[in-house]
Amino acid sequence: MNNRKASNEENNVLIHLENVWKIYQMGEVEFAALRGVDLQINKGDFVAVLGPSGSGKSTMMNLIGCLDLPSRGSICLDARDISRLGESDLAQIRGRKIGFIFQQFNLIPTLSVLENVMLPMEFQEVDNGVARQRALELLEMVGLKDRVYHMPSQLSGGQRQRVAIARSLAVDPDIILADEPTGNLDSKTGRYILDFLNELHTNEGKTIIVVTHDLDLIKYAEKVVYIKDGEIEKVEYT
Amino acid sequence: MKLSKAFKHALNMVMHSKLRSWLTIIGVVIGVASVIAIMSIGEGMEQDITSRLSGMGGDILTITPGLSRGRGPPGMYHIDSATATEEEVVLDRTDLQALKSILDISLINTEIKGSVEAYYLGKSGSVTLTGVDQKVWAQITTSEIREGRMLGSADQNVIVIGGRLADDYFDSPLGINKMITIEGSSFRVVGILDDQSTNIYMPIQMAYQVLDDKENDVYDSITVKIKNEDELDYAIETIEQKLMMARHVTEKDKDFTISSSKQVEETRSEMVSSMTTFLTAIAAVALLVGAVGTANTMFTSVLEKTKEIGIMKALGARNRDILAIFLLNAFLIGLIGGIIGIILGYLLSGVLPALMGGGGITGRFASGGVVTIESVLLSLLVAVGIGTLSGAIPAYQASKLKPVDALRYE
Ligand SMILES: Nc1ncnc2c1ncn2[C@@H]1O[C@H](COP(=O)(O)OP(=O)(O)OP(=O)(O)O)[C@@H](O)[C@H]1O
Ligand SMILES: [Mg+2]
Repeated sequence: MNNRKASNEENNVLIHLENVWKIYQMGEVEFAALRGVDLQINKGDFVAVLGPSGSGKSTMMNLIGCLDLPSRGSICLDARDISRLGESDLAQIRGRKIGFIFQQFNLIPTLSVLENVMLPMEFQEVDNGVARQRALELLEMVGLKDRVYHMPSQLSGGQRQRVAIARSLAVDPDIILADEPTGNLDSKTGRYILDFLNELHTNEGKTIIVVTHDLDLIKYAEKVVYIKDGEIEKVEYT
Repeated sequence: MKLSKAFKHALNMVMHSKLRSWLTIIGVVIGVASVIAIMSIGEGMEQDITSRLSGMGGDILTITPGLSRGRGPPGMYHIDSATATEEEVVLDRTDLQALKSILDISLINTEIKGSVEAYYLGKSGSVTLTGVDQKVWAQITTSEIREGRMLGSADQNVIVIGGRLADDYFDSPLGINKMITIEGSSFRVVGILDDQSTNIYMPIQMAYQVLDDKENDVYDSITVKIKNEDELDYAIETIEQKLMMARHVTEKDKDFTISSSKQVEETRSEMVSSMTTFLTAIAAVALLVGAVGTANTMFTSVLEKTKEIGIMKALGARNRDILAIFLLNAFLIGLIGGIIGIILGYLLSGVLPALMGGGGITGRFASGGVVTIESVLLSLLVAVGIGTLSGAIPAYQASKLKPVDALRYE
């Protein structure tokens, strides 16, 4: 059954990792954080990545997000091999196709909520009025309409993560990468965030990849990737 | 990213910068302020001298007995001992006759000078008395009359006095037509000069009587006015030849000096400008120190902002966006420091001359600093240049950071 599903969606593949290795050089010692990972993620998938601490989840997410390059193997995004691209092309992919949500929110502390959400659009040279309008809409969507001129430091953790979600959606990317988005939040706020991501998936057809320790999340995901010691242990479809 | 947006973020960085950044700006400020202050003070002194040069009359020459080495200011004579032995070197009628035969000369004024006791309303003091040829003095002097009149041909027992002598030398002001006693004789004041001196001027024939150590027809100095100022050098040459002939001396044992007051002031002007250059160089060092400070702060600030750089890169910032933001940030630090520095320098250049007032070259400098548009533009350019340059390497490093590494930075 699994095979049938995979082959059915062959031409729908958005992300394709093939024998991907990531080797860190630490002085004399080499450490392989990823050891020959093969993985396909289709357009519109909701993927959960699970695994013990240090297993290589973040490393893989960074590679998919074009924040880093693999030591060996190839990563194709939209059938383009990103391991061969230069920094400015990678920046373009990050800026247009990928929205990041981090565990530590990673808002710019010296910019207001509104400016934070507008920032990705500024890098894409979106017209200021348009960017502002879109940012306001997104902030309304995450329920922060009355906080747009606040600074990040004046917000609660959950509110900050909602700003980060709004920011990740600013350029309307195909892919949302969330590395432990609920890790710094209480379970109730965490649930809200996950519900929100799920809505994005069902309503807007975004491809969402979430790293989590939260087994609750699995019920949202269509595909669960288990990683252990830098290798994919198994992939489950729900 | 559009440049305007990069600029906005750079400005935002300056606004949110820590006290340390502002201390850096102060470094730039001090450098720029000292350059502005020194350059404007120098400029002020030069303008001061230039204005005096133009009012001085470049067509006036002063001939004094004895040979002065170099072209120091009058009064700084080093009389050559070989010529100044036994027989006293003087200027007399023979020299006057020789000068009168020179066609290039339009006016000749003979002077003697000495120190006298002056009494006025029970108060006395020692002042300098100058005996002048009253027939020509008014036309040859650069002094201006403030009140009353100059000496005239028919004058006898009258004097013209310096401004300070009139105003506050004695207990009560000494006005026009007041009588003053000099070495026992009474004189009437007919004119007050527009200056700050305590000098007294009187007809030379009277002065011979007052200054009894002076021998008739022997002069302390002779001033002449040249017909054509453009031929000053030629005139000096002619006078020199005629006088050497009349005094039976050669180039070797020349025993008189011809000086042009313009030359003296020109020398002073050169001194001022070289002093200004020297001080500016010192100020430039201060500016350099400011630059090193800026570079240091830029490095630290890049380090501090590593995480933000990582975030921006994750959000799609290209290397050149990061470079632009950090370069503009450095540019702004330079600009702000420059502007504050210029204002501060301008204020300083007003205050410093007053503090320096008194002796030396600056003694006569009272008009305050002159801030020229050149010095303002130059300092601004230097401050901005230094800011941007010192920010260049850190900004480049920031732009080259790998996104993962930057993001992981705590
Ligand atoms: N820059 C690096 N240099 C050296 N080793 C690294 C580096 N980054 C990660 N590692 C190592 O690679 C392994 C995988 O790290 P990674 O961050 O991907 O784990 P993770 O699965 O995200 O763990 P966690 O759940 O704790 O976040 C770890 O053992 C880590 O020590
Ligand atoms: Mg991790």
